[in-house]
Amino acid sequence: MKQLMLALFMLFYLSPDSFATVMQDTVTKGQVTSTPEQALAFLDKIKDLEKSTHWPNIKPRLFLKNLRTNIDEPINIYPGKGTNFCGYGALTYLFLQDDPLGYAQLLLDLYHHGKATFRKTVFDPSPAIKTEAGKLKFKGMLDINPAEQMWYLTLAGHYKGYLNIFNRKYDPGDEDRFWASVNYAKFNRMARNLLHYKLKSRGADLVRPKSLDLYAYISEKMAKGQVVLFINNRIVHKKDHVTIKLGVPTHFIVAEKISIQDDLITLMYWDYGRKTQMQLSNSFLKRIVFGITQFTKTGTDVN
Amino acid sequence: MVLPNLLKPEQMLTKIKQITGFLVLAGTIVSCSPKNISTRYYFQNKKTLDKIETSYKQLYQQAPFNVGFTDREFKTLSLEIITDTLSFIYEFSLHEPRLKDTLFAYHLNAPAIIELINQLHSIRCAWIDRSDYYVDEKKHSLIFMSIKPVALKRPFAYSKYYVLTYFEQPQYFDSQGRLLNKRKLNELRKINGEIFKRINNKVCYTISGKFR
Repeated sequence: MKQLMLALFMLFYLSPDSFATVMQDTVTKGQVTSTPEQALAFLDKIKDLEKSTHWPNIKPRLFLKNLRTNIDEPINIYPGKGTNFCGYGALTYLFLQDDPLGYAQLLLDLYHHGKATFRKTVFDPSPAIKTEAGKLKFKGMLDINPAEQMWYLTLAGHYKGYLNIFNRKYDPGDEDRFWASVNYAKFNRMARNLLHYKLKSRGADLVRPKSLDLYAYISEKMAKGQVVLFINNRIVHKKDHVTIKLGVPTHFIVAEKISIQDDLITLMYWDYGRKTQMQLSNSFLKRIVFGITQFTKTGTDVN
Repeated sequence: MVLPNLLKPEQMLTKIKQITGFLVLAGTIVSCSPKNISTRYYFQNKKTLDKIETSYKQLYQQAPFNVGFTDREFKTLSLEIITDTLSFIYEFSLHEPRLKDTLFAYHLNAPAIIELINQLHSIRCAWIDRSDYYVDEKKHSLIFMSIKPVALKRPFAYSKYYVLTYFEQPQYFDSQGRLLNKRKLNELRKINGEIFKRINNKVCYTISGKFR
């Protein structure tokens, strides 16, 4: 509760941004850093992966299988039922599409050495994380995906934001708690660190982007790059019948397609191992969206 | 010698009223408590609940979908149609013609699904879906149903749902009737973060603050 209260009183800087009204309904992905073929060729060279002394509960066979599946079909990555891993999931979905080879090398480095460096960031997960990876249960498909468990736990252990102030040290079960939570600034920081993209963000944790034709803005951003939306999922994906809900964002989704007809917006997005399409009004879109982050390749227009 | 203060007849009457009021209130709370309702709800409504589970399972095999009511009045319907490439989320008012049109558009068994929806509405079933779970790397599935019985709507139990899970295989339980992960491991299996209890070998229940 204390954490929640603190979160409520911490407002973040709202970056000014300009926007045009160009309508575009699909994402422009741009030049990739590496290809799935390169990543799979890299994995093919591994004939016999031995059990890692650093990750005692990761089965090598499942680990390699999980890496291959993720590279083959990034859409299927699943950050787990009931966890706070959605932000890491959205980040990984973009990572796998842009630099699958980098992803494979980084995860294998972590597996072999218990720590790894990627783009000047040193990941050195705690012993508790190393023991837990491979053991997460009752999280749906994440149960059988040890590479994803290792990666999400490592990211959550490494990157800290204000939501993690009171729970910084991993204990079993913390994947569902504030230890793993991702606020908007933390998400953008992780993305800047790990991804070969230029970022442009607009929004904040507790304040919705104001004075904005949201549909036009999102469409325009999608025309030039990938877009992640930080949304209030409590009203999109209702889990109870409580009518008064806290107006805070809790979920990251990757926008895939957006269009409008007769004032009804159709939004297709990725989250939790699948793409979903829903229809919503402009006012509902305004109610749920708190952050819009655009990812463009270097050399592309990010305005 | 000091005699104890005796109550006057009118004071005595007030006292009796207060005690009676307290006992009635306590009785109401206990009789509507989640613990009490969970032990009898399934058996009282077994025929309807099992029928819903069977028809949903059959319809899901034809074309996967999840459905439930997202408002307190059970008038707004949320329908998730799951295809190989995409899930579609729609919201309808109950009895809205658009619902039937949409089901037809996706080549779903519209009459059977509408009948199922009416059954869900009649027992205040807030949500029904199929979930996957894993044991020893093997995928299994269960049917998940959450109901908001009228008794659970009373004060002190407002935000509670009676949740049922139907498994395909018989499950293992500990001596307290709690659902276990596996026979050999004395580890409780959690579904949506909740511990479930035995109704029979394949059906379990819990009381939850969330309907999915």
